[in-house]
Amino acid sequence: MTTEPNNSVVYVHSLCKAYQLGETKVEVLKDVNLNVARGKFVAICGPSGSGKTTLLNIISGIDRPTSGEVIVLGQDLVVQDEDFLAEFRCDNVGFVFQSYNLVSTLTVAENVAFPMEWSRKPEAEIEKRVTELLETVDLQHRANHFPAQLSGGEQQRVAFARALANDPQLILADEPTGNLDTKNGQKITQMLRMLKANGKTVIVATHDSEILQLADQALCLEDGRLASRNE
Amino acid sequence: MSKAAFPVNDLLRRKLQTSLTMATLTLSVASTLFLLLFSRRIGFGITAVGDTLTHGLSAVFSQFVLFVGILIFAVGAVITSFIIFLMMKQRTRDFGLIKAAGCPNGLVFGYFMTELLVITFLGCVLGLVLGFVADFAVTNILHFQAYQKPPDLWLAPLVFAAFFALALIFGTKPMLDAARLSPIKALSPVQYFGLSTGRKLKPLSRFGLTLKIASRSLFRRQSASIRIILLLSIVFVLLTVSISGGIIASDTTQSWVENAIGKNIIVIAHNSMGAQYKLLLSKFFGAAENGDFDYLDERLAIPSTILQQLNSTPGIATVDARLILKEHIQEVSNFTIDPETLVTIPVGDSREGDSLIVGVDPEKVTATWSIQGRFLNTEDAWEAVIGDSIAQTMFSQPLSQSIRLQNRTFSIVGVCVDPINNGKVTYVPVEQLQTFTNMSNPNIVLVKLEPSADRSATLAQIKDEITSVNSDLTVFELDEVLQENLSFLGSVWSTVMLLPLFTLASAALCLIGYTMLAVDEQRQEFAILRATGTKPNAVIAILAVQSIVILLSSFAVGISLGVITTLLILVPNPVVTTVTLLEVAALLFTALAGMFLMSLYPAARFAKTPILKIMT
Repeated sequence: MTTEPNNSVVYVHSLCKAYQLGETKVEVLKDVNLNVARGKFVAICGPSGSGKTTLLNIISGIDRPTSGEVIVLGQDLVVQDEDFLAEFRCDNVGFVFQSYNLVSTLTVAENVAFPMEWSRKPEAEIEKRVTELLETVDLQHRANHFPAQLSGGEQQRVAFARALANDPQLILADEPTGNLDTKNGQKITQMLRMLKANGKTVIVATHDSEILQLADQALCLEDGRLASRNE
Repeated sequence: MSKAAFPVNDLLRRKLQTSLTMATLTLSVASTLFLLLFSRRIGFGITAVGDTLTHGLSAVFSQFVLFVGILIFAVGAVITSFIIFLMMKQRTRDFGLIKAAGCPNGLVFGYFMTELLVITFLGCVLGLVLGFVADFAVTNILHFQAYQKPPDLWLAPLVFAAFFALALIFGTKPMLDAARLSPIKALSPVQYFGLSTGRKLKPLSRFGLTLKIASRSLFRRQSASIRIILLLSIVFVLLTVSISGGIIASDTTQSWVENAIGKNIIVIAHNSMGAQYKLLLSKFFGAAENGDFDYLDERLAIPSTILQQLNSTPGIATVDARLILKEHIQEVSNFTIDPETLVTIPVGDSREGDSLIVGVDPEKVTATWSIQGRFLNTEDAWEAVIGDSIAQTMFSQPLSQSIRLQNRTFSIVGVCVDPINNGKVTYVPVEQLQTFTNMSNPNIVLVKLEPSADRSATLAQIKDEITSVNSDLTVFELDEVLQENLSFLGSVWSTVMLLPLFTLASAALCLIGYTMLAVDEQRQEFAILRATGTKPNAVIAILAVQSIVILLSSFAVGISLGVITTLLILVPNPVVTTVTLLEVAALLFTALAGMFLMSLYPAARFAKTPILKIMT
């Protein structure tokens, strides 16, 4: 077993993930090792089905590995229960999904507010933060609309605002521009650039060349194995 | 894929939903069939049978069974429509998906129609089987004479046809709606969620957030929410009427019987007369009397010395000496005058029949009947009080009419509920009866002891005194017969209260079905909530809030209507004690809590599902 470096935000060692589909065992991740230092911007690319989403899900605690170590912000996620993982995600991880995943029964403002409400932030602080975040993503005029009334690009910007609500130390984005047109994709890239400038630790699964250019480190997942993009 | 393979696979794939729909339909069909079979035996036709109970009591039963029956039919219809609606509603998206993939409308409609037919057919057949099994079980557990008849098999196709038609009508509607939708609309979230602009952000607590998500989801599913509230409201009316009405009516009728027979009563009579008196009281629950019994046999007369001895025995409160016989009676018609038109209106006819005639000393009766009008008093000579069965079968307005007995006419001053001879009884002053029967002595004596008396010592003393005078005389307590009467009433009521159990079970399954619909429609949202840091219990909390809102709304409506119906319509002069109220409240809240906990099953099951499994 190797030791987790002190400044590491994400430390993944010998990670394996396999699914059982009937009698067939599908190995999605094979012996993956990853170490992301604080403030780094890491891009992970790879063909569809290579395991990018699975890796991000495991780092966020949404999924569990078959074997290996996953230490995020000093917490060993493999041994924690569902309640701990939920609270951990709420306070420390911002996740941007490819398919936006907004809560359809909540308005735009409420979607951004609920992670803060869940972590019991004061009312005034929530209101102030929601206003700030909606201004950042340029959606203040849409605050009281429901997700189904927004375009895909707008929904993805709301998803970004929600991911930043609790000012998490780690941002995970799973192909954030995958479903968007060029113009909306550029807006999202702009936001990622801002996160990098603010010193956030970001891991993005992407094929987008503009995002890849932003990365401090670009890795490629192929056939379940992670390698440097240049290798 | 063959035309038959898709529907079968689809039904098997949705195991929980399929079995839930089938179980609900089965229970609805079973409860309706059981109700019809049961009411044919003891409910609606009871007044015509007349082998058991009295007409006054059976009228209360008939009203109850009729009302409960109407409610069960109503609930059955609403439940069937609701569960089939839920089943087909959850297929709207699939309908859109298959159409979007290029499948012709007719073929998709055929797939889902086949599913509907399979479910409906199986549910109805299983319901018929369960209905007959329940009827057989009740018949063989409760050995009432009234139950010993073969079931009416013709009711089975009737119930089957009614529910099959109901299910098809209500199930086809959402399918036709889905068929008319364009694929894009069928797939759109707008199809499920009506959209309007929300209010300005007002940050909330965790519970406030739970409430907000729960209430908005309820509102957005308003079609299903309104249906389930309507359904549960009727179920709670049914439950309230059955539980509170059943308990109150049971207490009330038992109190009528207890007062008419009397508690702590000791009977002194000739052996054969004592046995006949027991049989007359036991006709209430189906026993047959000795029809050739000679009440005026001189050997049955109780000597005056015994009466004198009893009157002087310490510990005896009342000595009620009676002369009992069977006689032919006649209705005497009368006239009343319409107060507005002053026209004379004939009342009654000249109907005839047999009645048990009981001569009593009005001052010394041991019973206190539930009575319409009044009982005899010491000044009465040519007055009579008749039992409720005679009043209903032979008289139009008994209190305005007279009764003819051995060519003598008695004015009717009261109608009482009395289990003896199934309510076919006439009370007259004993002196008059002795005069025209030439029977100077009573043939039975009822003795009521002082509450403070040493019961066993007094009873032993009475036995000694009686047997020393005439060894053919017997002394026995009436409490045993009273208990048999009361337990018969209790068992009839408990059977009536069994009826809504099926309905309650179906309603609980419907509520589970509704929660499943909620889970199904909100699964993506719950997955997002969990992925973004909400604990699994919060998902259960959201669904629990939805469930409790629905249950409490229905409970409030159902309880109010049920109590009003019970107290104002179904039970005249109800006997309501604090214990009754507590008993009713405890049972109703148990039912509510039980339904609530059952409705959480899909939520608890869903909360355990891994986030990724929900999202994919």
